[in-house]
Amino acid sequence: MKIKTLNEDSQSVGNILLETGAMLMSSGASSNRIRVTLERIANGLGYKTELLITHRALMLTIIEKDQQHFFSRLKRTSPHGVNFRIVSGISHMSWNVLEQNWTITQIADELRRLKSLPHYPRLVILGFVGLAGAAFCRIFGGGYVEMIVAFVATVTGLFVRQEAVRVKFNPYLCVYFAAFTASFIAGLAEHFQIGTQPDKAFATSVLFLVPGVPLINSVTDLLDGNIQNGLIRAINGLMISFSIAMGLFSVRMILNI
Amino acid sequence: MILLEILIKSFWAGIAAIGFAILFNVPRRTLFPIWSLGAIGGLIKFTAMNYHVGIVFASFMGTVCIAVIAIQMAHLRNSPPLVFSIPSVIPMVPGAFAYKFMLGMIALTSMENTDAYVQTLIETVNNGAKMMFVLIALGTGVAIPMLLTRKESIKKSDFNKKKKAIG
Repeated sequence: MKIKTLNEDSQSVGNILLETGAMLMSSGASSNRIRVTLERIANGLGYKTELLITHRALMLTIIEKDQQHFFSRLKRTSPHGVNFRIVSGISHMSWNVLEQNWTITQIADELRRLKSLPHYPRLVILGFVGLAGAAFCRIFGGGYVEMIVAFVATVTGLFVRQEAVRVKFNPYLCVYFAAFTASFIAGLAEHFQIGTQPDKAFATSVLFLVPGVPLINSVTDLLDGNIQNGLIRAINGLMISFSIAMGLFSVRMILNI
Repeated sequence: MILLEILIKSFWAGIAAIGFAILFNVPRRTLFPIWSLGAIGGLIKFTAMNYHVGIVFASFMGTVCIAVIAIQMAHLRNSPPLVFSIPSVIPMVPGAFAYKFMLGMIALTSMENTDAYVQTLIETVNNGAKMMFVLIALGTGVAIPMLLTRKESIKKSDFNKKKKAIG
């Protein structure tokens, strides 16, 4: 592999790599994927890099050919919100850099485009996540009435979570609010004996909050040898689970079920 | 009609996968593959459990199948495998066990009677152990195709490859 001599645009290379890494980290990529992707882009641009990846910050060093100078910078990553459209787009981009020799300007434009990509419309998200709640209820053996209860509880819970995230509550508190709302609605159904197995709806109404990405990424990181990141992700997942449990617990205390 | 029940459950497992896929904002072209993967994973898990395979190993089998097919899908639809495998695997996350485990832990804080305490402790530990091992099974199962092919990217791997792809 040829290593270029550092020049004035090494700064922008470093900044772009850090930007890409931070986007990947907050979109829910595993540590190994971030490392491989950034090294691929750096290779495509003709540099060699060393990386330190942690949950909330990235550190990158670009090494020059004769090892006389280097560029080094630390970047804090933004809070996490899973977005696989960005993970997929950056993966495409990294291959384009390697195979079609993209320039830094092209990469910067592509990053800007990926950031501006829309989410699904809010109603679609609410509707499908509600369906997922109903689906969980069906899988655990609930009937149609319980499925409707789970649907309503999930949609309201997710709505509360979106609003809480929007006004920037602590992330675990957002989960607590959502779990409380969802299980309160399902709990009311249990309180008034709606349906034959209302406990099924109660147990499944909060499953949309399950921290699947932190927990799966945690095991992936541990297997890849990124033990520190794996533990951090696992504890993050546990704290989210704990917030969900606290929400359920509060509702059980209030409704006494 | 056990077979019909398994099929219906698998259908709904696919719907749950779609719900999470939309929550995670996956590209639109990957939605249908994610539904099929979720349903296939559910089908394998529920069938295995019907033949008295434990929930841990049943989940592991379902996840490995999802991960292997996800690589094929990644070749076909030009997206990294995790975009397919993570939403499809999430319906298998042991939410019910986690729920019972947490409730058990909470119940243990306020118990006086020794017999009832021991009984609850046994159930709680059982639920917690199942939850933990299912989670490990899911994480390992998702990673297994990459571990076995020993490649950093599926693009360099011939495993399941029919078309030029991106990963």
